[in-house]
Formats: sequence, structure tokens, C-alpha cells
Amino acid sequence: MAIVTTFGRVTKSVGAGLHFQLPWPIQKIYKLDKRIQIFEDKFSEDLTADNNNLLTQVYLGWRISDPTEFFPRFPSASTTAAERMLEGIVRSVKSGVVGKYNLADFVNADPAQLKLTQIEEEIKKGVQTQLELNKCGIEVVFLGIKKMGLPESVTQAVFERMSSERNVLSSRYQYEGEAEAQKIRASAERKAAEILAEAEARAKEIRAEGEAEAAQILPIFQQNPELAVFLLRLDALQQALKEKATLILDQRTPPFDLLGSFPTNNIPK
Amino acid sequence: MDKKPQKVVLPNQAPTDTSAEAMAEALRSSFIIIKIAMVFLVGVFLTSGIRIVSPQERAIVLRFGKSVGEGEKALRKPGLLWAFPYPIDEVVKIPITELQHVTSTIGWYAVTPEQEISGNEPPPGPTLNPAADGYLLTGDPEPNIVHVRVRLYYRVSDPVTYQFEFANASNVVLNALNNALVHAAAKFSVDDVLYRNVAGFKEEITRNVIEKLASYSVGVEVDHCEVLNAIPPRQVASAFHKVTMARETRTKLINEAQSYANQVISTAEAQAAIITNEAAIYKATMVKSLAGDAKRFLDLLPKYQANPQLFMEAQFLETIGRVLTNLQDKIFVSIRPDGKPREFRLLLNREPLKPKPQTSK
Repeated sequence: MAIVTTFGRVTKSVGAGLHFQLPWPIQKIYKLDKRIQIFEDKFSEDLTADNNNLLTQVYLGWRISDPTEFFPRFPSASTTAAERMLEGIVRSVKSGVVGKYNLADFVNADPAQLKLTQIEEEIKKGVQTQLELNKCGIEVVFLGIKKMGLPESVTQAVFERMSSERNVLSSRYQYEGEAEAQKIRASAERKAAEILAEAEARAKEIRAEGEAEAAQILPIFQQNPELAVFLLRLDALQQALKEKATLILDQRTPPFDLLGSFPTNNIPK
Repeated sequence: MDKKPQKVVLPNQAPTDTSAEAMAEALRSSFIIIKIAMVFLVGVFLTSGIRIVSPQERAIVLRFGKSVGEGEKALRKPGLLWAFPYPIDEVVKIPITELQHVTSTIGWYAVTPEQEISGNEPPPGPTLNPAADGYLLTGDPEPNIVHVRVRLYYRVSDPVTYQFEFANASNVVLNALNNALVHAAAKFSVDDVLYRNVAGFKEEITRNVIEKLASYSVGVEVDHCEVLNAIPPRQVASAFHKVTMARETRTKLINEAQSYANQVISTAEAQAAIITNEAAIYKATMVKSLAGDAKRFLDLLPKYQANPQLFMEAQFLETIGRVLTNLQDKIFVSIRPDGKPREFRLLLNREPLKPKPQTSK
């Protein structure tokens, strides 16, 4: 877009295209950039509400919204002059806004307490108001924080704190590892004991079942306990002599009583 | 007669005629030359207006500084394009499909690419100088410092906006990326950024930058975002390393305990199986043998009842006979006449297979 001046006074602003102009020195035209331009301020230090020094740098997108206001304000419509003005305004507005917030509003892992977007918005509004008050013909399209930092001397303190935090963390991990391992071992042992106890209980149950079943059979033997006992004794005898054994008998044991009954084999009385 | 005066005139006219003719001839030929020159110039003029738009770009024709057509219509497709020469028309070419990228300019300590490639990074000083070193503040209760570098890949989706609404659109993209990074770091703890939620951090940056660029309407489309590096400050790297080691040790200890636990439990399970199996075997054999005994009992009962004494004797003798055949040593001792037990000694050693009974009959 361009500004047309007639005898040095701004008479009209025109957009892109072919336009007519009275020859110099009656009319003169000045071309202006209507595009959005980016301005970045200095990385500067301000005091937050809770007395922390915080460095911030913002970028802002601005454009000429009213050429007739913009042109007379800045000599030869120079953008550098406009940026100088922006710099001053941003500087004071930013300083004021930063001073209203705590450090925890700038950085906070809890999204509900993080007010960074709100802070940016407030700076943008403040700058816009100042520009309007000054009749600059400039519109702030957007504004954001580009960079945040701490004073150099503070970084060292941060490093010391980070180091000690890390040390706490590593000893905690160490302790945790040992404790956790202990816990796992103990619980495994307890579980193993439980399994064994359960198995024992189950085995007892099974044996009891077997004994109960056996008890159902026992009445059969009641029909003749004498025979039953005899058979049991026979079995026991057979069982006892299954393995390598030496049996010493005398003639009272059948069938060796046969031996004893012969007079020849008997020591005569 | 007719010819005479003519003849008279002719010599008079002849010089003028020839000069005029020569003049006309000269004019004619120069006209031809001029015509050719004109045609040539027109040709040059026309061809000078031909531009080629390659597949990766779109063009916009500005007539007296004003774009021909509005919005999408102003975009000329790839191919040949004709426009009047300057100053009537101006052709602006805009790269479109090719993937462009920017790398964040904040968040990394002062190092030149050459130093990085050669591995000759300057050693970290005790502090970070805000003028030279970049870093991010994290959202921990006490802000921590991290170094992060991200790269954003994007395409120009609206070339008209990209070209004519912004003095330097790629700078806007870069600022949006830096801003997205500041916001993301401010929301995350240092452990999340570096270890616990790396993916979430990247997602947050991407979401932030997409939102920002959309709200600025720069006319670009984010392809993807890549976190190139994320490291703790070099000044405290060893402390961070120690934590990593401790964490690994913890994992190792826990894994070892876990495998021990598995072993203990499976051993116990095997033992349990043995115990219950033994019980089951006991049950089965006991019940079966008892059932067998019962069957034998029932079989023998009638015979017994027929003559108990005889039956018992017969059974006993049959059994003892069977048992004795299997026996290794059988010693028969006759009763002393006085009925007292006979005393004898046995060497309870299996080695000399022959026992030495001190028997005398």
C-alpha cells in the first residue's frame, strides 16, 4: 500500500494496483509494507512478583493498520523507527506484566496453574493499548514468548540444586531396588510356603479320602475277624521275609516241628 | 513527336528518377529491415513474457503490483506462463510441495556446527550465559534447566498468504516453534522431558506449534516435528548419569529377585505336585490292596468256615514254605531239652556268607 501526500500533507492511502498521481512537487507517494512483520525484543531481565529474576524475550507480529496514522508518526515511514518505538513499549509493558506474576506462573508442571498463555495475552493487550494511545497506526497481530531464562549467576545455583536432587534420586533408586528385591523374594518365599502347605493339606485330604474308602471295605472283614487277623498276619510274615533275611527257627515252628518230632533228632532226655 | 519531348524530358528527369528510384529502393529495403527488426522485437517481447513454473512451485502474476485473481484463483499451475514484462507484470514464484524445515534456535548451549561435527565442543563453564547459551526452564516446583533441540518439517499450503501476508513467513514459523518449545518445557518436569514422557513432550510441542501456526494463519501445514536432542545441562551430566545407573541397578536387582521368585515358586509347585501325587498313590494302593484283601477274604471265608483249624494250618504251611524258599539263610535250632532258649552268636556281617553258628546239637 502507499500513502499519497499533497504538498506534504497526507491526502489518501491506496492499495495495490495502478493509480494516478499528480506530478512532483504537488503530490508525492510513499510505499509502505502492509505485510505482517516480526519484531523481537531484547532478552531482558525482570523481577517477578515473588522476587525471582526472570529473563524473557518476546516476538511480536505487527502490521500497519492505519497508514494515515502510521506515516506522520515515523519519519519517511521507516520501519526501524517503528520498531524502536515498539521496543520501548514492549519493554515497559513486559516488565509490568512479569512483575504481576510469580515464577510458578511461568513454569509449572500442573497445566491448571501454568499461566504462560495468559501472560502472553496480557503483554499483547498492553502493547496494543499503548500503540493505540500513541496513535501509531500499528496493530499487534500476535505475540509470544520466544525464550525464558535465568540470570547467569542463578544458573550455577540451579545446577547445584539439580545435582543434589539427582543424588537424592539415585540413592532412592538404590534403596528402592534393594527393598523391592527383598519384597519380591520374601513374597515368593511366602507363596512357596503357602503352596507347600496347601499341597500338604491336599495330601492329607487325599489320604483321608483313601482311609474313608478303606473304612467302607473294613466291615467285610467283620464277618470273621479271626480269619481276617490270620490273613493279615500271614501277609505281614510274607512281607517281612521278602528281603534278605536270616531266619532262625526251632522245632516248634511248623513245618519244622516235624524235625523235632523224630526221636533220632532229639537229644534224649 | 510524342516521343521527342519525352526524350527531351527524360534526360532531364532521368537523374531525378534514378535518384528517387534509388531512394525508394533504399527506403523499401530499410522498411524491410525495420519490419524484420520489428517482428523480431515483437517476438522477443512476446517470448520474454514466457515463464516456466516447475512442479514444486506455484506462481502469482502481479499486474501493476496487484495480484491477478484472488486467493486460489491467483495461483498459476506448473507449466508455461505468459505475462507482460516488467513493470506491467511481475511473476512471483512460490515453492509449495517441497518439505521445508526449521530448527529451534533456543534451548541449546553455545556451539557452532563445525565444533559439533568435529566433536570439539567447548567444555561447559560453571554457568550458562543467557546471551550465548540457550536452554529451557522446566515446570518442576523449582525450575530446572534442560537443553532441547527440535526440528519442524512443514509445507506451504497457502502460498498467497505465505508470500503476501508476511514479510518473512519462515521466521514466523521459527518463532512459533520456539514458542511451542518454551510452552511445552514449562509444562513438563525435567524427568518427563528426558525420560518418563519423551513421547508426550514431543506431542505437546507438535500440538503447540500446530495451534500457533493455525492461529497466526501463516499458510503452512505442519508435516511432523522431531526432537533432535534432549539432554540435561552438561554441568550436571554426571549426576544425571548416576541416576540412570542407579535406575538400571534397581531394574537389575528387581529382575534378579523376580527370577529367584520364579524359581522358588516353581520348585515349590513341583514339590507340591510330588506331595499330592504321593498321597494319591498312597490312597490308590491302600484302597486297592485292601479291596484285594477283602476279595481274598471273601474267597477264603467259606473254606475257613468249613474247617478253621485245618485251613489255618494249611495256609500257614503254604506261606512259610514259600517264604523259606526265598530266604538266604535258614538256621534251624533245636530246642534244648530243658526247654530253655539256646544261646548262640551270630556275626551280623553279610560278608562271610556262611554264618558261624555256635550250635551244637
